[in-house]
Amino acid sequence: MSDFDICRFPLRVEHTWCFSDFHLPDFGALYSNQMALPTITEQNIKDLLPSVTGAIPSGRGGQKIVFRIELEGQAFALKFALLSDAFQPDIADIDETVLRARRETQIMQECKSPHIVKVGPVDLGTAAIDGQNVLYFSEEFIDGQALSDAIRESGPLTVPSVVKLGQQMCSAIDELWSLGKIHRDIKPSNIMQRSHETNFVLLDAGLAFDVAGESISAGFLVGTMAYFSPEQFDYTNRRVMDFRSDMFSLGVTLYEAATGQHPFLSPTTSTPHLYTKITKHNPPSPSSINPLIPGSLDKVILRMMGKSPHLRYRRISQLQEALALI
Amino acid sequence: MALFVQHGHGKSDKIDAALESTSVEGVIFGARNEKIENIESCVKSVRERGGKVLFDPQFHVSTLVPANDRFLPDYPYYKVGRTAADFVGIKKLAGYVKSTLDFQLNLAPDRLLSPTVIFDSFESNWCQTALNLADASLDYHAGLAGAPPLLLSFVIGEQALSSRTELDAFLDQVTSWDSLAGTYVILSREESSYSQRFDPAHLAKALYLTYVLGNINGFEVINGFSDFCGLLHRCVGGTAFATGWSQGLRQFHRRSFKKQKAGGQPARYRYTSAPLLSSILLSELQQIYENGKLDAVLSGVPLDALITEATSPEESDWNGRWSELHHWESLHRLENVVGHDVSESINAMEEKIVAARELYVGLAEEGVVFGQRTQPEEHLDQWSEAISSFREMASL
Repeated sequence: MSDFDICRFPLRVEHTWCFSDFHLPDFGALYSNQMALPTITEQNIKDLLPSVTGAIPSGRGGQKIVFRIELEGQAFALKFALLSDAFQPDIADIDETVLRARRETQIMQECKSPHIVKVGPVDLGTAAIDGQNVLYFSEEFIDGQALSDAIRESGPLTVPSVVKLGQQMCSAIDELWSLGKIHRDIKPSNIMQRSHETNFVLLDAGLAFDVAGESISAGFLVGTMAYFSPEQFDYTNRRVMDFRSDMFSLGVTLYEAATGQHPFLSPTTSTPHLYTKITKHNPPSPSSINPLIPGSLDKVILRMMGKSPHLRYRRISQLQEALALI
Repeated sequence: MALFVQHGHGKSDKIDAALESTSVEGVIFGARNEKIENIESCVKSVRERGGKVLFDPQFHVSTLVPANDRFLPDYPYYKVGRTAADFVGIKKLAGYVKSTLDFQLNLAPDRLLSPTVIFDSFESNWCQTALNLADASLDYHAGLAGAPPLLLSFVIGEQALSSRTELDAFLDQVTSWDSLAGTYVILSREESSYSQRFDPAHLAKALYLTYVLGNINGFEVINGFSDFCGLLHRCVGGTAFATGWSQGLRQFHRRSFKKQKAGGQPARYRYTSAPLLSSILLSELQQIYENGKLDAVLSGVPLDALITEATSPEESDWNGRWSELHHWESLHRLENVVGHDVSESINAMEEKIVAARELYVGLAEEGVVFGQRTQPEEHLDQWSEAISSFREMASL
């Protein structure tokens, strides 16, 4: 199953969109400008950051590449993303991609939750490689597996693991909300499960939206459509979005983790149909797909996916309590 | 027990009698109908009888022109003829909130009720003003150490319940307030006079509003002036409901707060029949008695004795006073319809509606003729339709 990754469309055409027009592949779409990243070698990194050793590519999308690096014997992730043709180093402060990355690193710095990825020692910077402008920054290297890969390879998680995933992501959402932010892109491929423990970590805060501040993507919807909350489709409603939008996306994620299936997406689902399903249809209960799911978890997951925020839990603590009772 | 007396004009000793009958939990005083110098003693009197007390500041009357505001101008937070311009600016709103809540603090009620304005559309500027006042009230209340819990007041014109989308957005907003304890909701009815009729589409959304606030989000919800429909609200998650003594005080009609020509007919005595889920005229009760069906329509409450021990309903000592007390007793008895969860409660309510409809049909077959205002079957059909729509909205 492919992710419907980052999609953006201008407000002006919100009633005439063609979904396939903005169905962009792969995780690098966050920094998408439809150009390909240059090939980045270990030597490029060495030239740029002489103290870095052992750079090994650990993930790549069309617009972003991640390396596992070592600095003073400790492992970190170093992310590179392509900057647009229009990027000019002397006005980097107003470049949208730079602003996104800056936001991501700021959030990582502010958050103390063990379930939100931490910022690394390499500060946000820009560079020219093979004549193309890229930005880079580092974050905690998580030795583990993306939840999306885990589900694909091993099928549904056990009930206790689903509950743990829910509780730990609640902690992440709660911390973001305490800072007045919502993540807007919670999905299995943005959650890592650590190798040697069953802890989950939320990645990619680059889309996090500061409800008190100006959007850095004014005029566009951002996020991953298959995990959108219904209200995320409504640009005009965005000002009243709150953590309950992330709660919906987490509900979709828990559904997928509990059943191995996406609640709204199948290989034959067209993108317009996906929109209708997310905004109008109630999915079958998780237990109808996986009989091992108890009714109490059914209830929690389905409530998280309420079509309106007022149908979900009004406090993260209420959701945590409900999960604790399973 | 979750029935409150909605205070209005002509109080006399009605409240005391209601509290003594133990059919009501407390009183929601209205500023419009009580002199400011008496309000403290009124509150004290209810407290002495073990009743709960709320004080509706009726701030919303200040935007009605020409207002029939009686004693309201004596209250410090009230000013007649406020316009939209009077609600522009945070400082102004904060001032209204402070004066309204401070006045209530002196009365030490069980709940504080926020100032609000009436609105007829969730998209209107007046709705935004109501939300702004609510927000300002939460802010002010947060700084009041040891104050009673705050309920946000909303007076919603029935017409506002035409749009589901707008209602959803309103509910999204209200449920986003983390510090909110509950709401005091009044629906401004469109029916021209006291009646159990209710546009089913509007009633379904009203029930959905109560369901979302009370059942889903766990807020305290008091449905003011809700009368018989208060039972439906209780079934879907309402905490309590209220109704007044006379027909004109049982439901909220905006015209009651506007100056009108005097006149009208003297009220005819009514009997509240729990099995019929309605209030019928004493003359109609007499017909039922003459057809030998009296037992089928009696509410089964202590005050029925006035009827059953008399030669006939029309020969009894039934009067306005007994009618009022009996109404509360009957609503209180009907509250046993409220079960453990929403589905169980509305199923039980539907059974009562079906039984009432069958009873009306049976009575009509016996030759009982109900007056135009009673319109027996219409309100039951409307309630059934509303419950059905509500079920769909709530996915129950």
